[in-house]
Amino acid sequence: MRRTWIYQALLLAAIVAALGLIVSATNANLSRLGVETSIDFLWRRAGFEISQSLIPFNANSTIARAFVVALLNTLVLAAAAIVGASVLGLIVGTARLSRNWLVSQLATTYVELFRNIPSLLQIFFWYLVVLRSLPGFRDSLSLGEAARLNNRGLYLAAPEIMTGGGWIAAGFVVAIAAIIGLARWARHRRLVSGRAFPVTVTAIALLVAVPWLAALLGGAALDWDVPQAGRFGYEGGIVIMPEFMALVAGLSVYNATYIGEIVRSGFAAIPRGQVEAADALGLSRWLSFRLVLFPQALRVIIPPLTTVYLNLFKATSLAAAIAYPEIVSVFVGTVNNLVGQPVIIMGITLIIYVLVSLAIAVFMNWYNRRIALTRA
Amino acid sequence: MHGGGARRWGYLLVLPVAVFAIATARADTLADVRERGFLRCGVIEGSPGYSTLNDKGERVGFDIDHCKTISAAVFGKVSIEFVPITPNTVFTLLQSGGIDIFPGGATWSFTRDTTMGLDFTGVYMWAGQGFVVHKALGVSRVAELDGATICVAQGTTLEQNLADYFDANGLRYTAITFADIDKGLQAYRADRCDAFTNERVSTAGRISVWPDREDHVILDEVISKEPMAALVRQDDPRWRDIALWSFNVRIAAEELGINQANVSRMRDESDNQEVRRLLGVQGSFGERLGLSNDWAYDIIRIVGNSEDMWNRHFAPLGVSRGLNRTWRDGGLMSALPFR
Repeated sequence: MRRTWIYQALLLAAIVAALGLIVSATNANLSRLGVETSIDFLWRRAGFEISQSLIPFNANSTIARAFVVALLNTLVLAAAAIVGASVLGLIVGTARLSRNWLVSQLATTYVELFRNIPSLLQIFFWYLVVLRSLPGFRDSLSLGEAARLNNRGLYLAAPEIMTGGGWIAAGFVVAIAAIIGLARWARHRRLVSGRAFPVTVTAIALLVAVPWLAALLGGAALDWDVPQAGRFGYEGGIVIMPEFMALVAGLSVYNATYIGEIVRSGFAAIPRGQVEAADALGLSRWLSFRLVLFPQALRVIIPPLTTVYLNLFKATSLAAAIAYPEIVSVFVGTVNNLVGQPVIIMGITLIIYVLVSLAIAVFMNWYNRRIALTRA
Repeated sequence: MHGGGARRWGYLLVLPVAVFAIATARADTLADVRERGFLRCGVIEGSPGYSTLNDKGERVGFDIDHCKTISAAVFGKVSIEFVPITPNTVFTLLQSGGIDIFPGGATWSFTRDTTMGLDFTGVYMWAGQGFVVHKALGVSRVAELDGATICVAQGTTLEQNLADYFDANGLRYTAITFADIDKGLQAYRADRCDAFTNERVSTAGRISVWPDREDHVILDEVISKEPMAALVRQDDPRWRDIALWSFNVRIAAEELGINQANVSRMRDESDNQEVRRLLGVQGSFGERLGLSNDWAYDIIRIVGNSEDMWNRHFAPLGVSRGLNRTWRDGGLMSALPFR
């Protein structure tokens, strides 16, 4: 016992010493070459533009702000691709189990095809597909004034609240509180009386109606920032870049193959008796899927799904290849070119990836524990 | 190395060079080259206009002619070993004597001139960041790009030049930033952007091979100034003089009306004193550089004057000569006097 403790302490000391040596040697070499190692550059003027930013940004903003913009772009991309891959994966996974021969064969072909092509190539492919298949600015596809689609992106009208924004926000808060109460009440009633209540439909109605009524009451005025045609394209509104579309498509399609297989294994792990028991209870096929099969499959699905989500998050760094301004492109690319401090910049970027990945893992583990079978 | 490449690698290059910047004792490059029997010239490959292969597999381009200029001055003929280099290796190779000259278009900047143990030998090309636009847009000036989407490659100065210029002129734009030049050009070609910005002449070279070249226009304006000069080692003043004056012969020849076609006739017939000095009829200018008196005659005979070179390499790419015309025609090229 005591000896293993000594060995572990020695190992730890060796690792710390090795790290210390690397850090001090790197520092010595950098200062010999006259390369700065401070992070003061973060407060310098950026001097470059970023094509997509969720917070206000221009060339006069600081490099630190550019960093936040890029990080947000990474997170938005990861979130959209995770949703896309999950939905597609669920469809593909259930389709593979379908008794319809054509459907299951199509799903199998999909998995075998897209799982075996490197995701970087798929991203280039989708980028070319998006750019080449969408019309030019003058031939934009349009849905009235609300949405226009061309090879520069999807331009949406953006709501701009002129006055009474507080009323609308309050409306949302009230609606959400009402939905939570409603869900509890409906659950209680079902347990007591066995009668179901259409919670989802009511929730959507509440979410629309309450803020709308609040806006009417408070006299809120809403204006739409409609994309206007300029000389070169539409300006204003919300723009979804073709790079973003291509990346969400590429990352979703690729990762959905893995999620599909995980979903399939999850359902395959459910004992046949469970389906038969649900049938015997007279549950419809939808209810049997929702109440019996899916919750049990989820317990098998979540742990490997965590791995796929983590891989997908890290794969967003491939976006640098097609001009989507995420953290590798903006920070390791543009900013590093500008300030020439590769060690610090790589360090910050690595730490950010580790932190976000850990956050995803912590959340998935928490969710996994929540749905796990417990001796209640 | 040209344009974006040069600037992109700029800061990386300074580091290794600073380490290896130890003055070498040997300092008679001319004698070494003569003894060896050929010139070692560093070339970047695959940059149409500057340095590329023709359909016979021969090296052609502005940089190649620069090598030939020095070879003509030293040997009176083309006797060159071309050493293919990358932006990462060139300065070290030059320092260590692996090549005698590098004409590949490094931007002459203060930091490079003062920290690398190398000397620049006269601006042979006034390059600059310019734009290529889709012809259908009918744009002829940068100011008309207000509101446009512009593809750009990451570089130490490309994105900043763009932002600074548009900001200073009150123009709006959207920058789509690619990691490398070719991806950016491809996206521009697929109509992702209204314009693509990079070093103007090398962009012309890259798009010259496109079947739809006619659908694109390279704007005359530049938004940055990139004076390019050939590099030699700093430890050999005579070799630097040879490189500088050999290159200067081409401009002087253009100013004096001497070209590849008429150089023999001019030598025999001209009674302009400067022409006679330049072509070795009078005086002994070549000998003062340690060369033969036919050195300038040989240069013009083999590569021609600066206009001949432009017409041979860049005119076919559809690039206007702009600042690279002689001062008489409104450009910045001006010969140092041969007297």
